[in-house]
Amino acid sequence: MIAALFYLQYHSARNRLVARFKRLKQPKYLFGAIAGGIYFYFYFFRYLFRGYTGGGRQSVAAGIPPDYMPLFESLAALALFVIVVLSWLIPHERAALTFTEAEVSFLFPAPVTRRTLIHFKLIRSQLRILFSALLLTFFSRRFGGNVWIHAFGWWLILSTMNLHFLGASFTRTLLLDHGISNRLRRLLVFALVAGLATLVWLWAKATLPTVTSADTADFNSILHYTQQVLNTGPALCLLYPFHLLVRPFFAPDAATLLAALAPALLLFFLHYIWVVGSDVAFEEASLEASQKLAVRIAAVRAGNWQAARKNHKARRAWFKLAPKGPAATALLWKNLIGVGQIFSARLWIILIVVIVMVFAGFGGSTRAENISTMAGIIIAILLGYSLLIGPQLLRLDFRHDLPMADILKTFPLRGWQIALGEILAPVTVLAGFQWLLLLVGFGLVLFLPDKHESEMLAIGISAAVLLPALDFLMLLIPNAAVLLFPSWIQSGKDSPRGIEATGQRLIFAVGQLLVLVLALVPAALAFAAVYFLLKLALGPFMPVPFASLAAAIIVAAEAGFGVMLLGRLFDRFDVTEEPAS
Amino acid sequence: MVQVEGLTKLYGEFTAVNDLSFSIQPGEVVGLVGPNGAGKTTTLRCLAGIIPPTRGTVRVGGHDIVSDAISAKKHLAFFTDEPRLFDYLTVWQHLNFVARIYQVTVYEKIGATLLDELELANKKDALPGELSRGMKQKLAIACGLLHSPRVIYFDEPLTGLDPYGIRRMKDSILKRARDGAAIIISSHLLHLVEEICTRLLILKNGQKIADGTMAEITKKFSEQSGDASLEEIFFRATSEPLAPPVLPLAPK
Repeated sequence: MIAALFYLQYHSARNRLVARFKRLKQPKYLFGAIAGGIYFYFYFFRYLFRGYTGGGRQSVAAGIPPDYMPLFESLAALALFVIVVLSWLIPHERAALTFTEAEVSFLFPAPVTRRTLIHFKLIRSQLRILFSALLLTFFSRRFGGNVWIHAFGWWLILSTMNLHFLGASFTRTLLLDHGISNRLRRLLVFALVAGLATLVWLWAKATLPTVTSADTADFNSILHYTQQVLNTGPALCLLYPFHLLVRPFFAPDAATLLAALAPALLLFFLHYIWVVGSDVAFEEASLEASQKLAVRIAAVRAGNWQAARKNHKARRAWFKLAPKGPAATALLWKNLIGVGQIFSARLWIILIVVIVMVFAGFGGSTRAENISTMAGIIIAILLGYSLLIGPQLLRLDFRHDLPMADILKTFPLRGWQIALGEILAPVTVLAGFQWLLLLVGFGLVLFLPDKHESEMLAIGISAAVLLPALDFLMLLIPNAAVLLFPSWIQSGKDSPRGIEATGQRLIFAVGQLLVLVLALVPAALAFAAVYFLLKLALGPFMPVPFASLAAAIIVAAEAGFGVMLLGRLFDRFDVTEEPAS
Repeated sequence: MVQVEGLTKLYGEFTAVNDLSFSIQPGEVVGLVGPNGAGKTTTLRCLAGIIPPTRGTVRVGGHDIVSDAISAKKHLAFFTDEPRLFDYLTVWQHLNFVARIYQVTVYEKIGATLLDELELANKKDALPGELSRGMKQKLAIACGLLHSPRVIYFDEPLTGLDPYGIRRMKDSILKRARDGAAIIISSHLLHLVEEICTRLLILKNGQKIADGTMAEITKKFSEQSGDASLEEIFFRATSEPLAPPVLPLAPK
């Protein structure tokens, strides 16, 4: 029986690979693969066998400095300990091996034992683990060490953890079957962990030298103290199994690896016996999990990552939608409800409370100046990110609604109305967020001794005027791209994955940047013209808002033209074209 | 109410619909039947203005679906076989949204009546993810009927409905027709077509091979007797064997 499952696994993987190679005949995948290949080479592969040189610095061939090795090993062990504790603390559902719907249909009614199904699941998870180990090796190899040792170390850690999660889920189910509720189990785990943490703390307090304020200022002292706590006394005992598991990864050479291998493999084997020996009915929960998985996959393939992430909750509309009025408002209204799935009212309230508290905390503080400066820098960075990354994250526009394009096309609306309605929601949210940041930023200025209020106000007003127009422009580009090249963008069915998909995204990122730069040239010229005209009369700062207004008008005109163009693209968009053929 | 002249839709070199012409009067219920790949869905999508025809014209209520799309679409409702809903709008928010799109000022009253009729009144605040497939279908119908369309297209309207839902759907279609709506139903369920359609349009390979009332079609495709069932007529018209081939038994 297991041979049949191997057959299924082998041929599924092989056919998937062949299909990917076949689609390279299409230029969009070929160019994507080339761009992705170059990216992966320069970012990962070239470090694989020769280590990271750090832009001319000497190669860190030896990996982590030997003095720090015990500390790193302890920190890794601690990280695994935390992950394991969370796996006992957080999950609440019954054991469910996640199968696809096809696997459920074929395997569950077939004469296959439960143990064989577990083996199948373990075999299948190995593909994912091997790939993850490869990726993690790419990363960790950049910091030195032997590539094969790293790869094996990662594989061992991931495989053992995978077995542990499975075993833990089986045991949790058994506990439930024996009347131990999730709440009680969590309470017991929490009490145990709290007890152990207290024990470590008491031991450290009694045994180790007291930490002075001078020690906390010195990073090396902190590292030394952490090393002492983790590598001696109860913490060492507690973390010992985790040390055994991570030790092969940190082995500097083959001999050390071999020495560390036996206990780590024993751990792995014990986990395997635990999982395979568990007799837990997982079929029903697996069935439910497979259906949820199918829904999530369908949502992802439809470009709806938000739907894939979590269950929706009904959200109130941001405003009352009257039945009469501009129809594009209906799309804004609809998409803002969708945005509400991400930005709940609670989140906004928390944000505002935090901001108010920060301001309240500044009052009379001697450190207010430094904090204000730092917060100002953070706000400037956030503003920049919101402009560049925001349009990529807020996708409640055509990128989200493209799978519903046939429905949108039945509406008695012109293309530009639909385009405008689709883009308005992310623009509204981004602009709202940016205005809030600007307000906070201006508030911080008041805490500076040399306030320059008028200059800051001029810059703030300029940014407030310019940013929404720029947001609009930034959002137009990916929306136009999704209508022009639906199969290139992650939307619609069967969106591509792999190196070629990464390459496609890179090509688009560069393309978007180019279009943006071109679109900004006229606005920059208008800004410069107005600024230099008014500078003589108004000084260096006062012309900034007027120049920004001129630039914003140009960008807004471009955005308006863009909306008309986007509308025409939508009118011409053929919904019968397979988005990711 | 619907005039189609020379409708042709090409995908590259493939002809999905070829030179199709027909018209539908108010109150008529036209059954669009044909084997898989006959071009039924493509035809409906062209008639609804979802995809542009390669050649030919479609007029809905006197308005061209391409050059005067807005006026034409105001009269239209198109129900797809798979209910297409916005996953983060509740049932009532769907109606609110559609009301604004079609500028239905009294949507609250009409919406409440529709939800009552479709037994969705207690699901007003539910998201599509919380509804069964049949309920989703009903919600899609409520949205489509909110603006009292004069032309309605159904693509496999009974998929996913329980017997009560099927009965209600048939009654609803007939009621709309009696009220003067022109209706096209694309379906593989020949008994449904036979039961509620006043006219039949048979497509094969994108071409019209028969168009007429049930009696006319029956007469045309009945060899001797005039009482052949629609199933027999369908197989004769589309030149398929009367019964599906018998699968060989697996060797023991």
